Amino acid sequence: MTAPIILLVEDDPALRTLTARALQENGFAVRSASAAPEMWLALESGPVDLVLLDIMLPGTSGIDLCRALRQRSDVPIIFMSARSSETDRVVGLELGADDYIAKPFGVRELVARVRAVLRRPPLDRRSGEGDSGLLTFEGWTVNLPRRELMSPTGAVVDLTGAEFDLLVVLADHAQRIIARERLIELSRTRLGDSSDRSIDVLVSRLRRKLSGAGHAAPIVTVRGVGYMLNVAVERS
Amino acid sequence: MRRLVPSVGLLGQVVAILLLTMLIEFGVSTMLYERASQFSVRDDEARRLAEHLVISHRLVAERTAAERAAMADDLTTDRYEIHWDHAPPHVPPVAPSLDQMRRQIIEWEPSLRARDLRIRLVSPGSSSAVTGGLRLDDDSWLHFRTLAPVARLHFGFERITLALVPAIALMVIGGLMLRRALLPLRRLAVAADRVGHDEVEPVPEDGPGEVRRVVAAFNRMQARIRALIDTRTQALAAVGHDLRTPLARLRLRSESVEDVDTRGAIAHDVAEMEAMVTSLLAFLGGESNPETPVPVDLAVMCATLVDDASDAGRTADYAGPDHLELRLRRSGFKRALTNLVDNALHYGERLTIALDADADVVTVRVIDDGPGIPEGRLAEVLQPFVRLDPARRRDTVGFGLGLAIAMQAVQAEGGTLTLANRVPHGLEAVIRLNHPSPRT
Repeated sequence: MTAPIILLVEDDPALRTLTARALQENGFAVRSASAAPEMWLALESGPVDLVLLDIMLPGTSGIDLCRALRQRSDVPIIFMSARSSETDRVVGLELGADDYIAKPFGVRELVARVRAVLRRPPLDRRSGEGDSGLLTFEGWTVNLPRRELMSPTGAVVDLTGAEFDLLVVLADHAQRIIARERLIELSRTRLGDSSDRSIDVLVSRLRRKLSGAGHAAPIVTVRGVGYMLNVAVERS
Repeated sequence: MRRLVPSVGLLGQVVAILLLTMLIEFGVSTMLYERASQFSVRDDEARRLAEHLVISHRLVAERTAAERAAMADDLTTDRYEIHWDHAPPHVPPVAPSLDQMRRQIIEWEPSLRARDLRIRLVSPGSSSAVTGGLRLDDDSWLHFRTLAPVARLHFGFERITLALVPAIALMVIGGLMLRRALLPLRRLAVAADRVGHDEVEPVPEDGPGEVRRVVAAFNRMQARIRALIDTRTQALAAVGHDLRTPLARLRLRSESVEDVDTRGAIAHDVAEMEAMVTSLLAFLGGESNPETPVPVDLAVMCATLVDDASDAGRTADYAGPDHLELRLRRSGFKRALTNLVDNALHYGERLTIALDADADVVTVRVIDDGPGIPEGRLAEVLQPFVRLDPARRRDTVGFGLGLAIAMQAVQAEGGTLTLANRVPHGLEAVIRLNHPSPRT
């Protein structure tokens, strides 16, 4: 298996070198660009597996660049930004970035994010226009790019990272039973970072947070097997 | 918002209001005097006065000028005081004339018609008296005055009431009109009170000319202040962002340091600097655009903070309803709660978040079992840049802005944040929010 190719777009030369070195040491091939024109050249010169994009670049803003890039290609994008506010994060993710990393970041965090995005199956990312990354069931809305859950009454319902990931897995397999072992396996790779909470705890928390006025959350336990989201999920 | 017609000004409006009240007063008084001229006495009383006047006239007119005064005095009885003078009777011009009574008297004694009978009502004290005069042939005057109250009608009371009603009505009308004229000033006061707390819209420039000029000046001042703050905030935000790039370099460089201890120490320093930059930007608002309130499930937000803490291996519980929807500036409020939770976990071992909602108040309590804060310093620690232990014994990170940021965010929701110590030890941070539409 050849090394995944990362296109790094960053205007600060020293930070560009350091980031490139960190990625190379972790088994990635890196192509660097300092600004938009170089980025387009680098993209033309060969296939790229992921773009690591600084949000504040000279000339074009990273947000415009992301929009332009998204129009041409489905390549995964991770934003890097010195702005860590919620709004910036949301704007980046809504424009089609796959993830967001705030400066200053450590090598471990960077590599973990890059690997996580590369590991996601292409279907999991937004595929083509019209797909806004929304999952809906029983009035609940899961906003994938914003990683947000909205209640049927339109209120934002906070979930921990692990709970959100579990909900997405359940929704992806709606009306099918997912074995507990499979969820545990997923929790090691995908759900959360260092959570050693058992799946059962996560499920019971999700149930409480998804309980509506008077009726229980649509997550059923299949005794001895696993769990199931027993309602239809619509994607839009 | 300029008007084409120039305003008459505050002065003009006040003058107009005064003029109007005076017109009404005039109208009402005229009506009152009209009523008084209709004042009539019982027929027998009018007759008795008529007879006394006819007799007095005849007796006085027969005498020479020197004897007339004495004669007039002799004619004074318990009922009527008679008095002779060269001059016509002097009555205060405000005393209403009694046309009806005059008619009654003349009807009984038509000879008095030629005598230029003048008759008026005066009120010395509370009882009404009738006074007047008759002209003699040589243009001297016979004055008379009733000594007993003429009528048992409660005329005095009626008059007071009549005078009082328009006075009260005038006060109300005048008050309402002045209130209306001063409305723009009140709006200005409300807006001025809000400066510095939240976004202030320009105050509409209307009302009297003077007020309009004040409002316009206020709006310009507000715009200048906003521009000044914006410039500073942007400059500061730029500094914050620019600091993060070298921090990012430092962090990446530190990871190639061979010595584990040095690497850890550098990583710790970078994390601390990053925390300081973040809290400074949060406090000065350099990073987030003004948030708008959205519906949020506050109960789940609290529960999730507790879940995050227990996922991180801490002891934490949540007590409260499963759901509670409120409109909040979400990330600002969550940052406030996160700061309180971080404090609780920093100083204590056990975190509890308790949420209560009654008809009009939502209370969030963030409780720890740490050492608490000396009573005298409870209010002080809510101020920015105040840290409890200057020696930083407990690895305190940042500028001491955590609670100030929380305070700011809670105030943005129109709520209050207070701190209180717990018995036997521990601290309780209490957020109280208004709860306009209870929905549990």
